Amino acid sequence: MRPANVAVALPAPARQRALKWVLLGVLAAALLIWPLFTHDFFYTHIATLVLLYCIGGASLHLLVRMGQLSLGHAAFMGIGGYTSALLSTRLGWPFIPAFVASAIVPALVALVLGPILLRLRGVYFVMITYSFGELVRLLFNEWQSLTGGADGIFQIPPPHPFLATSREYYYFALLMAVLCVGFTGRLLSSQTGRFIDAIRESDRLAQSSGVPVLRFKVMVFVISCGLVGMQGSLMAHYIHYLSPGAFGFSESLNFLVFNVIGGMQTLAGPIIGAAFLVSLPELLRGWVELQRVLYGVILIVVMLYLPGGLVMIGRRALELLPIGKGER
Amino acid sequence: MNAKNWWAGAAIAGLTMLAFVLMMGAPAVQAEELKIGAVGTLSGGGTEWGKALQRGLTVAIDEINEAGGVKVGNKTYTLKMIMYDDQYTAQGGTTAAIRLINVDGVKFIIGPVGSPPALGVVAVANPAKVIVLSDGYSGKILTPESKYNFRIQIPTEYFAPGMAKWLAKTYPKAKKVGFISPNDAVGQTLVPVQIEAYKAAGIETVSDEKFDRGMADFTPLITRMVARGADIFELDGDAPGDAGLMVKQARQMGYKGIIIQTGGPGTDEIMRVAGKLADDFLTYDLFDPADPSGAEFVKRYRAQFTGPINGLSPIYYNGMKILAEALRRAGSLDTDKVKGELEKLDGFQTLFGPVRWDGKERYGVRHQLVHDFFVTQVKDGKAKPIARVSHE
Amino acid sequence: MSSNLVIPIVFNGLSLSAIYILVALGFTLVFGIMRVINFAHGEFAMMGGFALFICYVQLGLPYWLALPLVVPTVGLIGLVAERIVFRPLYGQELPAMIAGLGLSVALADGAVVVFDVHQRNIPSPFDDILTVSGFTFPEDRVIVMGIAVAALIAFWLFIQFTSIGLALRTVAQDREMAEAQGIDTSATYRITFFLATAMAGLAGALFAQIYALSPYMGLVPLVKAFTIVIIGGLGSIAGAALGGILLGMSESFLNTFYGASVAQFASFGAIMLLLILRPWGLLGRPEV
Repeated sequence: MRPANVAVALPAPARQRALKWVLLGVLAAALLIWPLFTHDFFYTHIATLVLLYCIGGASLHLLVRMGQLSLGHAAFMGIGGYTSALLSTRLGWPFIPAFVASAIVPALVALVLGPILLRLRGVYFVMITYSFGELVRLLFNEWQSLTGGADGIFQIPPPHPFLATSREYYYFALLMAVLCVGFTGRLLSSQTGRFIDAIRESDRLAQSSGVPVLRFKVMVFVISCGLVGMQGSLMAHYIHYLSPGAFGFSESLNFLVFNVIGGMQTLAGPIIGAAFLVSLPELLRGWVELQRVLYGVILIVVMLYLPGGLVMIGRRALELLPIGKGER
Repeated sequence: MNAKNWWAGAAIAGLTMLAFVLMMGAPAVQAEELKIGAVGTLSGGGTEWGKALQRGLTVAIDEINEAGGVKVGNKTYTLKMIMYDDQYTAQGGTTAAIRLINVDGVKFIIGPVGSPPALGVVAVANPAKVIVLSDGYSGKILTPESKYNFRIQIPTEYFAPGMAKWLAKTYPKAKKVGFISPNDAVGQTLVPVQIEAYKAAGIETVSDEKFDRGMADFTPLITRMVARGADIFELDGDAPGDAGLMVKQARQMGYKGIIIQTGGPGTDEIMRVAGKLADDFLTYDLFDPADPSGAEFVKRYRAQFTGPINGLSPIYYNGMKILAEALRRAGSLDTDKVKGELEKLDGFQTLFGPVRWDGKERYGVRHQLVHDFFVTQVKDGKAKPIARVSHE
Repeated sequence: MSSNLVIPIVFNGLSLSAIYILVALGFTLVFGIMRVINFAHGEFAMMGGFALFICYVQLGLPYWLALPLVVPTVGLIGLVAERIVFRPLYGQELPAMIAGLGLSVALADGAVVVFDVHQRNIPSPFDDILTVSGFTFPEDRVIVMGIAVAALIAFWLFIQFTSIGLALRTVAQDREMAEAQGIDTSATYRITFFLATAMAGLAGALFAQIYALSPYMGLVPLVKAFTIVIIGGLGSIAGAALGGILLGMSESFLNTFYGASVAQFASFGAIMLLLILRPWGLLGRPEV
């Protein structure tokens, strides 16, 4: 991050900005149009999943940027998912209030637990969030009268009869993902985002600037958990079924891996991470036995040769283009 | 985010979309080849069951292809299995089913084994008129809306009462049963069914212990059970590896009562884990290996695969054979016609005896395959059926 | 429930503790000295189990030859992993963690490809059941406990009384000071990794012998190691020992008297409480 150099080395900023908007436009058009060209629900299905996971990945990114790595994030997704599912199946609530609740309930839990959990940093925060995640999973499993236990909750209705199929839900998911990720991006590029980065660099230094660090961290934590709770609800109303197994350690790890593999320093990281890692098992489906081994090897290789995440590939590619010339 | 990252992100997004577009080229379908879809767990904890499906299906498909394939109308088809992992989640089952149906153009799916993925698959397959022959004991799998899916193994509520009654009759002095089951859908759904079945047979449940998957030392739980006076140790739906350890540890602790598994079966693996200590172990079993069709299955399985015979593989072997016969009788690949033939298949001889469909009263649809079953006992390192019992 | 449950509970608790401590020690060493949370640690235990299976069952070597062979075998694999996966990532805590995770998946599922997924039994060379005043003790558990304890004592002697052991302790306490004193830290890392994985391998072999062996069995020792190290303190050897005993005994006690669910809730609850009130564990040191 050498702002001075960038300012000096860029070519005509107006041209760059114009190109940026063109690319954005092309991307948006592509995202909107491509499902119309395929009859295969499979690809819209995968794309829908990718979009939904982008929400969770971006939400964890807020915590990662703050230097707090959580291994219990999927528990909050589960809390949101179960809230929404129970409200719509047991109490007959329509989708919108249930969805709003799916953001509020995990946010409240985060509000209550945040002041306790966020006193810890580094590996201790990892361990306590892991323990919390396991506790919540056990709770989902054991509290059969509330959650249906290990069997889960069935026949969760779609948000609207129109959204029952894969292609329609894709557009809905696209909208939600753009809203959530966009919100996260705005947050990160604002004053709040600067504080987040400052806290990651040094808790004490940030404190000396007058920011009440713990309270700030709790606020970010609350937002982060609320967002992933929304993903939980959106997934529940898409798959129409949820069970405790979907919200355990391996899901939490997935969110973290999106961030690490995609790139931890930029919001583009978890987006790329989610796109890559949610579609990867599908790309590897041909080699049924070896796919998991390959997954593990890919994780190692990326860590060894691309520790900045996959975002770095794009960066290096762009360094070869005339647009980014001058920046070395 | 700064400009550099933005560009990078956009470039990657573009590349990913390109990859998607490239992936969309559908593979050419070979004529005379009939694709049979399979969905099962091939990663993580449930892999044993996914393998059971894969192997049972492979043995059946090879047997059918060797005999010339399936004659449907004027054409003869070679069967080809396409199997995807469901990761034991509903989402995984849904994804696998969508891929099979949409990308591979499959009309017949065998599996999944577990309830969560089965529910996912069935929800996608029924509207698409794709026939599904699955396992999964959840009550929600067969409902009046189940037009195209069938269940090809009897669930616990069908075999538990018969087993309990047989036990009460054969060992009239045993009056107290203890359960140790995993803390998941098996333990939560199946055990209550068995408790009821034992109660109806006059046997009281004195202990119902749950463990989290991954536990290897069951001695504390067995101690609890024994302390309450259990003289029947019921292994219900425990996975073969866990069941084997329980048998071994119970005997090592000096427990002298009955050990029985009304579930599984996982006899082969249990015998390998418990060794000599597996003697006198009783279990629910699906077929008699001494029977000609049973012996044939065992022979073919052993010729192709090493390791213990997974107790669930006969179910999928049997399912494939039933489907092949229905295809033959329908004379067409149209799933409505095949479905009709499946429903009329009563009497057709299979590994599990003559086909019989049931379920109208229980589930609202007559798509539950029912069959007699066996009680097998291990003696001197060999497992032999000692009784044949009718389903409920 | 009467008092004659105490003996079985203590015995069960101790035999589990011994194996857990072997696993946790390696884990805490690697963290204390190299600041790496090795997610693949459980898989080294699993490989130890398979190594014993290959040597003892498939190759037919006598038990007292097969078991000691496991130790250097797994240790060597550990060295390879250190060189390829971890060494390039020293100083980067998070990438090392993720790489370790990738290694764990690759090893566990690689084992599925090579050995198939079903559980195996290693036939025990000790089949007897010893009965002492009415209590039954399976012979193989007694022997396994003995071996584990012997290994722990050997380790303790090594750490306390040899110069390499001293070097390890120094690096664990303060890396900069150790380097200033001329200790070769990269050699220290290699030795640490070798020891840690070798002990995990031995623990895995012992575990596989009295329980069962399967490619995915590494997850449970990893979680136990995590738990023990939280209780005892990351980087503390004595803490790992104490944590191991506490965990083994409390598990045995809680499972017997209250069943598995209560035991699970209690252990996660206790971990959370400990992390909130005393995150550096019972015997660790608070980090600055």
